Amino acid sequence: MSGHFFWSGMPVAFRPGETIAAALLRAGIADLGRPDGHLPGGRVFCGIGACQGCIVAVEDAAPIESCLTLAREGLRLGPLPALGTGHD
Amino acid sequence: MASSAAIHVAVIGAGIVGAAAAHFLAAAGARVTLLDASGPAAGATGASDGAVSVASKRPGPMMDLARHARAFYVRCERDGLFRGLFHRRSTFLVARTAVEAELVARHGADLAAAGERVVEVDRATLLARIPGLGASVCAALEIPDDGHALGYEITQRLLGRSRITIRRNAPAAEIVMRAGRAAGVAIGDELVAADAVLVAAGIGSAPLLGLGEILIPRKGQMAVTDRASLSGPAIDGHLMAASYLAAKRGIAREDGHIGLVIDPLMTGQFLIGGSREDHRSDHATDARTIAAILREALDLYPPLAQRRVLRSFAGVRTASRDGLPIVGAHPRREGIVIATGFEGDGICLGPFMGACAARLLLGEAPAVDLAALSPQRFVRVEAHA
Amino acid sequence: MTEAPILIVGGGPAGASAAATLAEAGLPVLLVEQRDQLGGAIHRQPANGAGDHVWRPARHRRTWAALTARLRACAGMIEIRTQTVFLGVDGAGRFLFDDRRAGRVFASRPRAAIVAVGAIETIRPFPGWELPGVMTAGGAQVLLKETGRPPEGPILIAGSGPLLPALAAQLAKAGNPPVAVLERGRPWRPGTLARLALAGGPMGEAVAYAAALALGRVPYRCGALVTRAEPDGAGLAVGIRAGADERVLRVRHLLIHDGIEPNRAGIPLPAPEAAVPVLLAGDGREALGADAALLDGRRAALQLLARLGTGTAELAALESGLERARRVQAALAQALGSKPMVPAPETLICRCEGRSYADLQALADDASVREIRLMGRFGLGACQGRFCGPMIAALRGRPVPAASPPRWPLRPVSVAALARLSTDETE
Repeated sequence: MSGHFFWSGMPVAFRPGETIAAALLRAGIADLGRPDGHLPGGRVFCGIGACQGCIVAVEDAAPIESCLTLAREGLRLGPLPALGTGHD
Repeated sequence: MASSAAIHVAVIGAGIVGAAAAHFLAAAGARVTLLDASGPAAGATGASDGAVSVASKRPGPMMDLARHARAFYVRCERDGLFRGLFHRRSTFLVARTAVEAELVARHGADLAAAGERVVEVDRATLLARIPGLGASVCAALEIPDDGHALGYEITQRLLGRSRITIRRNAPAAEIVMRAGRAAGVAIGDELVAADAVLVAAGIGSAPLLGLGEILIPRKGQMAVTDRASLSGPAIDGHLMAASYLAAKRGIAREDGHIGLVIDPLMTGQFLIGGSREDHRSDHATDARTIAAILREALDLYPPLAQRRVLRSFAGVRTASRDGLPIVGAHPRREGIVIATGFEGDGICLGPFMGACAARLLLGEAPAVDLAALSPQRFVRVEAHA
Repeated sequence: MTEAPILIVGGGPAGASAAATLAEAGLPVLLVEQRDQLGGAIHRQPANGAGDHVWRPARHRRTWAALTARLRACAGMIEIRTQTVFLGVDGAGRFLFDDRRAGRVFASRPRAAIVAVGAIETIRPFPGWELPGVMTAGGAQVLLKETGRPPEGPILIAGSGPLLPALAAQLAKAGNPPVAVLERGRPWRPGTLARLALAGGPMGEAVAYAAALALGRVPYRCGALVTRAEPDGAGLAVGIRAGADERVLRVRHLLIHDGIEPNRAGIPLPAPEAAVPVLLAGDGREALGADAALLDGRRAALQLLARLGTGTAELAALESGLERARRVQAALAQALGSKPMVPAPETLICRCEGRSYADLQALADDASVREIRLMGRFGLGACQGRFCGPMIAALRGRPVPAASPPRWPLRPVSVAALARLSTDETE
């Protein structure tokens, strides 16, 4: 294992060159979203960045496809629409 | 044959104005055929932001009409016609420089003089209402009585509740005259006979009415983002930068001007606009213009840096040569009523103006004095030319 | 590079093949790829250090090795930009790219373009297809290739098509044989195998997959399909129907797939004769599979060379290869074809916006595509109609439009990255 990023504040280990999706799935995190009743939550589905089901929020940046984006040390991620902004 | 008492009106243009006119004509017992080159809300109505706003209007007849039109929305929502489609939402007029602050203050005074509630908001209060607002924002006014409605939803609601014959993919070739009176509309080889014709076709009105020099297309490019919120609008009001006000008040800038508005949609997404490109009537968007709009938007509201653009699109506004809409009986051709030239104010004014046009077609007086919008004003100009 | 390059979008077999062919002919090439490595889906490369252990036909490995060798041999003519997503062509004719590493969008005006972005999978929706734990078979295969390891826990594969047994075989060889493969069609009718062989289908591969399934004791049931999926603790309870038999399987992963189709949403229309010629290649033009994609990339490059006046197109051999692939696809479609199904009303159709089949039925039968979008709110979300579009076309009995209107951005793009747009034009 080569590093950790954070999912909702929890550290997740990843291997070098691995996508965020692969690391999350290995950690048993398949549910990527906060469904709000009428919108389904996120999860990895097509694996090629087309379905946008695996989109995750990134601290201080725009959301990204977890199936396409390489995991990086210290990245802070969470379910859409945004990381704990306290605006709810 | 239908009842001989029922007037048959052909309405050209199924945007918000035409749809409203058709609705109110049908409600009054008229027989209505609504014609569109494409379909309901296929033009500017379907490519607009959701502002039902008095705040953005030029002082004078426009501001006054907008107050009537917004009150009309409130009544229609309360009476059920627009239930669930119209929402109260403040407009914030926002300044980022001392010059802009002066403009905003002047505009606020004009609004107050027209009877509108205007609230001065200091930076601290503004930040509490709209967290994350840009550091360059120095002054703002809140217009708390403004509202929000989506053009294509209003159009669909207006058309869904009446027995109107809608003809899609039916471009009007010409208005057929017989003995100096409108007799109907030619669609290809077919004549749709009618007792009266309403032209509410936006930029498509020009060739039908011989108004080529008087109507000016003004393209506006916009972008829609993903959701910032899962539960309703992401911020507490519609943000309107001084640049938008400058354009609406006719303070000339170089062409390609951006009048910045940030519209928080009910879905939690943002609609960000927009460019003002005179004499452009195409629907293409280009990266440089959209990028420029986004740079302005990020300066005004930096939290947009956490959003993604889902799509870009363009609408074509119909402006008139003197900046006022054209509503009234055709000066020379009997049986034709015109309702166009609403520029970027069609969503706000549309339902009310459609209702006024319906009254005119039925031979009644409209709810307000529309003399300032009369098509006659162009005839006089030409007579002196 | 002083001369405007030929732009190749997509670093899978079609794009890589086109790039190599053009570079070998002496033309400068700009090859952009959304991932950090070339390969596309079929040749998805393992992440650093994962090791390339996923079982697959040896010729795939050989093909890719040969392609990458050709690319290396003319590296001087090819600029490769990875982690770069194609955003389409704007109204001013600029080709736009989202450079994810640099965090900015850049625009360019290439000499010509070959767009080879591959296919997306077709999905038959059912209640619960949106749940975590449900993935496409292709998506699972891409992850398997990336990590070299199968997912843990019981796996069910369902849908239709040759990818199902292929993936099942790979998972079995990787150490987690699926509990079953459910094929909705009934391919094993008399003569199917013969027809497939006559069409030139990869019979050796088929036999190898069958052997792997037998060895892994993976049941392959025909005429069987998934009716619904529900959350079940950390996994899923999947309803299955085969004929009159209904049962529930408890699994961890449900992998679904009903075919592939070109990923055409928003892609520029082919314009071989335009001043800036645009061609499509590979599965993004016509879904014929990886072997055909290789040929099709070369075909597009040769066609472009002929158009640019620097070569004659010797296309006959390539065309016959593509024809053969078409025959195989047709034979497969005939073998696997089954009755279209009406989903339960609560089935999600537009996952991004939470719109169901009931919401679709509430619209007029003859509602236009535009009305379905604006009034029904189908396809207004982040995937921009890529998945619900084909579903809706199928449900309304319309053919999937060959191409949706070109637009940009054809993938969501960061506001900040687009605001930082850089163009290669002097202002």
